[in-house]
Amino acid sequence: MDVLLAALAGAVKLSAKLILIIVPLVTVFEVLRHVSLFRRAGNLVEPVMRGVGLSRDAAIPLFTGIFLGIAYGAGIIIRVAQQKKLPDRELFLMGLFLATCHSVIEDILIFVVIGGSGVAMLGVRLGLAVLLTGLMARVWKPA
Amino acid sequence: MSDPGARGAAGEPVPDIPTRIRTGLSAGFRTALKIIKVSIPLYVAVTLLKGTPVLDLLGRIFAPVMGLFGLPGEAAFAFVAAFLLNLYAAIAVIVPLHLTPFQVTQCGLMMGIAHNLVVEGGVLSTTGARGWVLTVCRLVIACAAGLLLRGLSLLGAW
Repeated sequence: MDVLLAALAGAVKLSAKLILIIVPLVTVFEVLRHVSLFRRAGNLVEPVMRGVGLSRDAAIPLFTGIFLGIAYGAGIIIRVAQQKKLPDRELFLMGLFLATCHSVIEDILIFVVIGGSGVAMLGVRLGLAVLLTGLMARVWKPA
Repeated sequence: MSDPGARGAAGEPVPDIPTRIRTGLSAGFRTALKIIKVSIPLYVAVTLLKGTPVLDLLGRIFAPVMGLFGLPGEAAFAFVAAFLLNLYAAIAVIVPLHLTPFQVTQCGLMMGIAHNLVVEGGVLSTTGARGWVLTVCRLVIACAAGLLLRGLSLLGAW
């Protein structure tokens, strides 16, 4: 019984956290996405994105996932996927990149705190993400 | 920037700021609810699993594999905690093991790629991507990354 209560309490806390992070995040994204500076930033990363088979429409969800992680990044991913109708191929490639390389700040720092090497963790993850997604993009050609 | 009737690059009309805030709030709530609906039942299920011998059993099954990654067998319990729960649960297991800096990095690398798989797998599915395929990818990539780092360390690059 205690276990169930603890699980439910944790569930309520997790829900609150998701709402508190996703709602402001999506709101800021809605306000900013029409701003021209924001659009130009998209142009800047476009060549990098093309290397891993992604279009600039995937830039915002990709970078949100890289820095904030999958649960919070999903808020933006779902929103952009609906608006821009990201094709299956790009959704998968983005998922593959994020599977390897997400929430890089928090997740790496907590291991640096207990004695790990941040450079090695970040280097291997970023390298593998670019390599695997780039390879997959060449195997799965755009329709 | 927000004059009525202005057109964005995509040709869609640009709404004024209050409209954008309203759109953002309602879309944000809808998205958050969508994620909550999927992740909460999974979270509760996994948390309840913690009270059973299942985690302990899984740890014992995977202990012999740990040597491949240059880790002691006990690290398997940390991996089970990371895969099913989250990194904080895994760290609680790792700290008392007194691992070397290489071993901590190895855990951080592999667990950073594959953690909280049940809940995040559900979340990934809500985006329209194939959640379970990506979850399998995470496990495979984590092992590949672990072998890569182990290889680099054996070559003396560490």
